[in-house]
Amino acid sequence: MIPNVTGHSIAGTLAMAAATSRGIRAIEHDGRVVDMPYEWLLEESLRIAGALRAEGLATGDRVAIVVPEVGGFIRAFFGVSAAGLVPVPLCPPAQAGDIATFTRQSRELLAASRVAAVVVSADIVPLLSNKEGPSRPVATCHVLTIEELANGPAMAAPVAVPSSAAALIQFTSGSTAVPKGVVLSHAGLHANLSAITGPAGLAAGPADVGVSWLPLYHDMGLIGALLAGVYARLSLVIMSPVLFLKRPTVWLESISRYGGTISFAPNFAYELCLRRVKPSQIAALDLSRWRVAGCGAEPIRCDTLAAFAERFACAGFRASSFVPSYGLAEHSLAVAFARDGISVDSVDAGHLVRDSRAIPIAPMNLVKPANPVNLLPLNGHTAPTAPVRLVACGRPFPGHEVRIVDDDGQALPERYVGHIVARGPSVMSGYFEDPVATAEALHDGWLQTGDLGYMADGELFVCGRTKDLIIRHGRKYHPPDLESAIASVDGIRSSGVVVFGINHVEDADEVVAVLEARASSTSSDIVEDVRRRVRETAGLELDQVILTPPGTIPRTTSGKVRRSETRARFQAGTLLTAGRGSVADGSAR
Amino acid sequence: MRGTSAPGAEAASSPDRFERDTLDILKRLSRRPIDPGPGSELLADLGFDSLQVLELVGELEDHFNIAVPLNALTHIRTVDQIVAEVRRLAGDQEPKS
Repeated sequence: MIPNVTGHSIAGTLAMAAATSRGIRAIEHDGRVVDMPYEWLLEESLRIAGALRAEGLATGDRVAIVVPEVGGFIRAFFGVSAAGLVPVPLCPPAQAGDIATFTRQSRELLAASRVAAVVVSADIVPLLSNKEGPSRPVATCHVLTIEELANGPAMAAPVAVPSSAAALIQFTSGSTAVPKGVVLSHAGLHANLSAITGPAGLAAGPADVGVSWLPLYHDMGLIGALLAGVYARLSLVIMSPVLFLKRPTVWLESISRYGGTISFAPNFAYELCLRRVKPSQIAALDLSRWRVAGCGAEPIRCDTLAAFAERFACAGFRASSFVPSYGLAEHSLAVAFARDGISVDSVDAGHLVRDSRAIPIAPMNLVKPANPVNLLPLNGHTAPTAPVRLVACGRPFPGHEVRIVDDDGQALPERYVGHIVARGPSVMSGYFEDPVATAEALHDGWLQTGDLGYMADGELFVCGRTKDLIIRHGRKYHPPDLESAIASVDGIRSSGVVVFGINHVEDADEVVAVLEARASSTSSDIVEDVRRRVRETAGLELDQVILTPPGTIPRTTSGKVRRSETRARFQAGTLLTAGRGSVADGSAR
Repeated sequence: MRGTSAPGAEAASSPDRFERDTLDILKRLSRRPIDPGPGSELLADLGFDSLQVLELVGELEDHFNIAVPLNALTHIRTVDQIVAEVRRLAGDQEPKS
């Protein structure tokens, strides 16, 4: 029986899937398997929804979810949705880093999203009531465990909600200095799910099996794997990210064992497999049914895809299965998929950097399903400067637009690098209770992605970022968070800290910290202390720590540090000459 | 030595196989030369990032045939704590096998 609900809502999507005999197999961090047929999942979510309403929660209330277990998270998420409430998924402790990081993040994000309640698993309760320091507990709202909520009383049907209502709030970065919650409406989410799974997207059908290890508190795992899978009514295998990171082989073994046809991951996951899956393990794999090997969420490296395709070819993997993709939380998730095989554009690095133009130095190299040639480096090519090889991220979806514009918002011709902007039904409603940030992100309906790219032959190529975001291992870091962590290190002027990333087109971001030292401190101790602090709080390794005398970092008239200018001077090699003194002068005035 | 000291004292004085093997695995997984001691902190001193910590846990689980619970991951900071956790989990298992 399908309850009568709005088909475009999250709960409505589950109700449609419940009419099939398929469902989700959850694999927990310890390998434990939990099977959840969609029909059962719908009943379970109606029990959880009933219990939530019995707690006095009302339609539209926000409810945070902090559940590390895969099965528990999925039940909580659909339960909250079925109750007509707005889920706010948060990063669970084991993935936040250490307990102090989890506590700090949760406290800030729970406050910023003003949730009415937080749904957790029993293990999390003591962490949220933890009174870190002198004052208040982490969560000041209702803390409800998924175990007690599952006792019902069940609702007869999901609460009907208008399609313009908020379906979900995503805090994508876990940033505490600038917590921005992306608000997605049911209609916006539906538009993106339809694009992802439809004929212009993955053309997903009942024969497909989705496999994912991606975190469910993050857009790619939640929307791209879980919700897209339920929307297309696929059989899904969803495993714990902790399990994948402990043993990357388990991802590929699951694709092999369950006949996975669709699975997405960031570039680093393919690299992790290259580094850690042993030849004896590859020999036991059958990856021949894997038709969509999606790659996104961070810069896509041509060399990684080529090496993966070569190494796993003996297990039946095809290079043509790669689907490079581009998206961001502010666009629900997906902006473009390259679903017709891989196109590699080799462009002149000098022109790309100096003139923002993508000048091809070789014909575009295509790997079509029918033409499974390799994507190895160009042979015998003599370019004036080193070539940069970029992987196409495909074309925008029907009903959606993507443009490349200059600083004034004017459209640029093909092969000119500019700001990537996107418009259409998948764009977010805005940032939660943040009209200033929303106005900066949305101009006349055009979403300013903060990424740089160009179009060539109708395909989108992404080649950098204008926003200050730093991306490592698919995880996003905001410079203000890192700066505030460093500011309290002894010997540093707390107002003289700048952290920035340098984007490398074909490689991971390089992370640089520029610090103004106090007169009395010894430089080698400070550098090590700063590195320690960043590792402890963010689990991130700084590539360079530059110690400078006070007054080196450029500032605004009101005394705020100017991050982009600092980066520009650092890259031009004029940071120290433009300011005062030199690096060796770290302890002098 | 093994015969003369109580099991508890052995852990405190000389490295047992849990400590020895854990230190070996730590050195193997590190991407730079490290000299881990009992008090070394994984993230801060040994330069492990969050990815390597989970890689370490996977290796320890395979090597000692144990399952490290999820909530232990957030509390472990030092080499001492890892070794203690490994010893506890492996000890729990021994009577059964």
